[in-house]
Amino acid sequence: MQTPATSIQQKPAWRRTLDTNGVFLLWTAFLLIFPFLVGAISGTSPTGRRGESVFQQGVMIEYLTYAMLAMSYNLIFGFTGVISFGHALFFGAGGYILGGAARALGGETGVIVGVVLAIVASTGLGLLIGIVSLRLKGVYYAMFTLAVAEMFYIFFRRNPETGSEDGFGLGSSLPELLGQRIVLFYLTVILFILMFLFIRRLMFSPTGAVLLGIRENENRAKTVGYNTLRYKLFAITLAGVLATITGMLYALLNRKVGPEMFFVNFTVNPLLHTIVGGIGTFIGPILGAVGLSWLERTIRSTVLTVGESQINIGQWWAIILGVIFVAVVLIFPYGVVGTWNRAAPHIRKWISRFLPGRNAESG
Amino acid sequence: MTPLLEGRQLRKVFGGLIAVSDVSIAVQPGTIHSIIGPNGAGKTTLMNLISGIYKPTGGSVWYKGQEITHMPLYRRAHIGIGRSFQITNIFPNLTVIENVRLAAQALSSIPWQFWRRADSHKDFINQALSHIALVGLSDSILKPASMLPHGGKRKLELAILLAASPELLLLDEPTAGVASEQVGEIIHTIDTIRAQGDKTVIIVEHNMSLVMGVSDRITVMHSGTVLAEGAPTEIAQNKEVQSAYLGELYSDVMQPKTGEGKHDH
Ligand SMILES: Nc1ncnc2c1ncn2[C@@H]1O[C@H](COP(=O)(O)OP(=O)(O)OP(=O)(O)O)[C@@H](O)[C@H]1O
Ligand SMILES: [Mg+2]
Repeated sequence: MQTPATSIQQKPAWRRTLDTNGVFLLWTAFLLIFPFLVGAISGTSPTGRRGESVFQQGVMIEYLTYAMLAMSYNLIFGFTGVISFGHALFFGAGGYILGGAARALGGETGVIVGVVLAIVASTGLGLLIGIVSLRLKGVYYAMFTLAVAEMFYIFFRRNPETGSEDGFGLGSSLPELLGQRIVLFYLTVILFILMFLFIRRLMFSPTGAVLLGIRENENRAKTVGYNTLRYKLFAITLAGVLATITGMLYALLNRKVGPEMFFVNFTVNPLLHTIVGGIGTFIGPILGAVGLSWLERTIRSTVLTVGESQINIGQWWAIILGVIFVAVVLIFPYGVVGTWNRAAPHIRKWISRFLPGRNAESG
Repeated sequence: MTPLLEGRQLRKVFGGLIAVSDVSIAVQPGTIHSIIGPNGAGKTTLMNLISGIYKPTGGSVWYKGQEITHMPLYRRAHIGIGRSFQITNIFPNLTVIENVRLAAQALSSIPWQFWRRADSHKDFINQALSHIALVGLSDSILKPASMLPHGGKRKLELAILLAASPELLLLDEPTAGVASEQVGEIIHTIDTIRAQGDKTVIIVEHNMSLVMGVSDRITVMHSGTVLAEGAPTEIAQNKEVQSAYLGELYSDVMQPKTGEGKHDH
């Protein structure tokens, strides 16, 4: 009657499917050789100042920052079940604090001070927002966070010291090293992989279990003895810090910061990316972010040639992307990865019926 | 002997409705104390006041001689009060083992170890497994809780409660809506708790044969007030109780025909 503990050493089924080490190693390898791969194909140098490889590295950095933003958003939205509309606040704070420090101090010192300051500040900001507002339920919390983020957006649009609507450039104040695209590329790849591994480890930890418990049934989590407010505070602060780190990378990539970093786009996009990829899955947000960003870029630059005339599809990119989004959500109600995880056991079982000699019971 | 738990003059008003009206209850350590009464009598509301789900409109709650009326819900688990619910209250998309393991680790020092794998703590897994075995769910440990049949969910509800090893167990209709052939396993679980002898139980039940069989004391509620309190034999013979409530239900004891969930759905 007693099942030995070893039998669940192989994780619970739904987690086992999320455990994607094979796939993970594959795309880690892909990212690591990416600059040289593109360089070899296009015959351009991966380490120069311009050229196809350098350009594509920039594109990939942008995709990865969107993926990191979605991963951090998924931590609260997908794993803890808290809906925030203020994620852009942390993204923007990262950019502006790093930018401000770089501009004020210059060189390596500026960047190091900026990074430390941004992380400290976003921790404080996360705790402050959480303590003030986490008692608010669902939509009210979301509205509160939206209002705070919008306040920052409006402030920085009007603040002449930070260049108002234009923001300000970082180019001259950044150290030489960060001016090299390939350095920034590998920095981004490393941070991206660390963030992925960190979130995965967290979600398999005792703390992650509590976060999932809060998402599933907060009142029951309280009844069994968890001070759920503290765990939610932990989750939103941590997600905020991760978004801040992402915001810093984004600023380094663009070599400028602007008020749009506080705009609601940087909340809504990770939200949509997470939904499309799969809420509460590990690779869903990444897939959603990279997939939709790639689609957007592709559609925007597509020009169809029909006979004599050229049709610029790009101008309708928002509509086309919207239609694709709706279609994906209809076909994959739990997001691409979430739906796949649910369907995979059934598909495997179905296939195994056609494979004589194989153990039809498994799967 | 000081009672383990005491409710003094507890009162709960919802708008104009007095759901619990100046109810006092004292539960001695090591006993099983049942609360019975017709639908809407205020039994669940009383349990909610004791466990901290609701703050009382009036009166106070005492545990081991200490007032806990305003103690937050989660802290009550830490002083030894556990609760199961009439309406199933589980973690639907977590597996059975995760549901119970989560409850088992709740009072330990590990929940903040975000750098460690949860399954490296084998003691909590084993603890969870033994409670799952006790309620008879060992076949389903890797199933998501939402996929269990109703009876399975009721058993899981009990296993979650037991996992944190509370001293005082508040059971709100553990057999609610459970098919009669499965009620036995739930009664078995309650008997096991009783046999261990170190637990105190407050149980709300409509299943009269269960109540008469396990209780040391019974409180009868009616329209938010206490109609009677006493040992099972006293309650069975109480004229007022018979006319107000037991008359119709007491026949169940003679011909045990266990609850069909007539009140839960
Ligand atoms: N949250 C609430 N808001 C308003 N009224 C409530 C609330 N909870 C309970 N009530 C009312 O209080 C009264 C007592 O309800 P309660 O659930 O405590 O009864 P009960 O004895 O547990 O009944 P049952 O046997 O049906 O479970 C009922 O009239 C009910 O409608
Ligand atoms: Mg009730």
